[in-house]
Amino acid sequence: MLDYPHYSNYDSVTKAMIAFGHILRSKGLNVGVQEVLDSLIGSTLGILEDKNRLRYALKALCCTSEEERHSFDSIFDWFWGDERLEIKGKTTYKNQSNIKKKTQGSLVMMGKGEGEEGEEDAKRVSGANAIHRLRKTDFSKIEAIDSQFLEELAIQLWQQMSLRLKRKLKAAPNSGRIDLRNTIRRSIEKGGDPFDLQFKRKKKQKKRLVILLDVSGSMDKYSFFLLRFICALRVHFERIEAFLFSTKLIRITEYLNAHNLQQTLVMLSMQADNWSSGTQIGACLKTFNEDYAKRILNGQSTVIILSDGLDTGEPEVLAEAVRNIRLRTRQLVWLNPLKGMQGYEPVQRGMSAALPEVDVFRSAHNLNSILALEDLLAAV
Amino acid sequence: MNEKIDVQKIAEGFDSLSYILDDELATVLFLMMRLEKPLLLEGNPGVGKTEIARVLAQYLGTEVIRLQCYEGLDVHTAVYEWNYQKQLLSIKLQEQSNKSALEKEEHIFGEEFLLQRPLLKAISNPERSPVLLIDEIDRADEEFEAFLLELLSAFQISIPEMGTIKAKHKPLVILTSNRTRELSDALKRRCLYHWVEYPEFDKEVRIVQKHLGNIETDIITNIVRVVQHLRTLKLQKTPGIAESIDWAQSLLALGYKDLDAKAMDQTLGCILKSSDDIKSIKKGGIEELLQQI
Repeated sequence: MLDYPHYSNYDSVTKAMIAFGHILRSKGLNVGVQEVLDSLIGSTLGILEDKNRLRYALKALCCTSEEERHSFDSIFDWFWGDERLEIKGKTTYKNQSNIKKKTQGSLVMMGKGEGEEGEEDAKRVSGANAIHRLRKTDFSKIEAIDSQFLEELAIQLWQQMSLRLKRKLKAAPNSGRIDLRNTIRRSIEKGGDPFDLQFKRKKKQKKRLVILLDVSGSMDKYSFFLLRFICALRVHFERIEAFLFSTKLIRITEYLNAHNLQQTLVMLSMQADNWSSGTQIGACLKTFNEDYAKRILNGQSTVIILSDGLDTGEPEVLAEAVRNIRLRTRQLVWLNPLKGMQGYEPVQRGMSAALPEVDVFRSAHNLNSILALEDLLAAV
Repeated sequence: MNEKIDVQKIAEGFDSLSYILDDELATVLFLMMRLEKPLLLEGNPGVGKTEIARVLAQYLGTEVIRLQCYEGLDVHTAVYEWNYQKQLLSIKLQEQSNKSALEKEEHIFGEEFLLQRPLLKAISNPERSPVLLIDEIDRADEEFEAFLLELLSAFQISIPEMGTIKAKHKPLVILTSNRTRELSDALKRRCLYHWVEYPEFDKEVRIVQKHLGNIETDIITNIVRVVQHLRTLKLQKTPGIAESIDWAQSLLALGYKDLDAKAMDQTLGCILKSSDDIKSIKKGGIEELLQQI
């Protein structure tokens, strides 16, 4: 497919509509047989004569979010436009070549890349001893050969942790006020005598967990593992929201849903055009406040910021953004991988500006430190 | 069939009910009725999503049944519930009668003991299709969403004690969401989707005028201008259409003929509903704000 096909290439409305459906699908819109069928039915209702109405109708049928509506318009113009616009083949494939380029770079291939010279404390050994050692090894010092092993170990341990968390939530005593309505209902089968008392209590509000992960250059070594950690949490936290940031903030919640992690990572690298560049923590958190905080944070949420605090922006901006997030949350946690280093003091401008607003300040540089977060997550 | 007129007719019908409908939404509503698909409306709070359902019902001369979603909404509050107290009384009353157990059971699970909640009510209208408004679906749990999906595909509800109730007239379903969470793909795919924007300047002026009984004064255009400007600022709570209308009403009630700094200062609470916003606007200076516009 070198250029976008045009409706005039097809000899019937049906074929054109099917082709249009294919294009939308290839552009990532969730368009199936049902949508195409509905579009065809719609076209028999007289909307074909007016191009704008056709646009509105197809838009309502094929799009499922505001973002999709934006990309829809340009595709629509290409396909149903009055004149044929030649689009060079590159457009179609640009994204893919982008992925390739990106995948060699950072996150996606991190686990499999050539890796640097091994540090002394990360020798490849097998058995229990190795596990013990790997759990304590800083993510940035993991050797390439070990990384695969560590990844498996990490996923296993995190899953266990998620499971424990889930069980904790389940075990709650069956008490509270007597539920008269249900008790009476139960009593009907016993001829009207309230034999089994039924209880009710306030439904536990599902609390939200919001994670903001720094993927800037300085965090490169850690972000790979931390992103996997977020994916592992996704399995057991129903209400999790995740964002990536470096110079720009990107919402990745929907991608965490995909079962295939590798696929997720590729999709993420497609989104991040500024992967592994400098950090604008303050500006990104400000964007978060402006665009998402109102909707997502409800005063019951826990927000976790995973970042090394090496901010290139103004510390005042960061401090204010963190304060504003704090106002809308129950707990604000800052996890800094650098804190695992010996002799680390949070003295960088950004970090020290943000610190007074943070409830919990901890490390997240190796497996053990992440597993130690269990107590925090259990309280979410 | 002359559908072109139909879309037009919808727009005109809404217009006569004081709702100003653009061509896009009119087309979508037309499709919704023709394809018998639910319509999912998303948009910022205060853009009039709920109002669309109300006016649609008015336009079609039918009732609107509203289900307000919230976290923890369950089948008992959304679909049906038995009137247990009444059942219990009935059991006691019938103890002495010589009806068989089967007859007694049939009696207490009869329709008079059934409390209809919105969803059941929506499919049991015997005469015409009602408009079913499922408001803020994003607040309900995922489990409820799955249940809703089932209802929206079959339009039938089964009650174990009574059997299956199938809709005689399919309701016109409008769902609204403020996007506090993403809805499931399955639900989205079943619906038509429309994103409701804040109205443009001219449209909002007309909306406010309609609500104030079509008076044409400069104060309304000024009010809308200020509100539209406020929306471009990064506020904690962005004012919606209802705020514009409220504000215009209050200013007129206070007898102002024009929007000046004093008037605005006095009525700022009508449009800004957060103390931080009020503070930041006052800090920036109301005079300056008015001059900018």
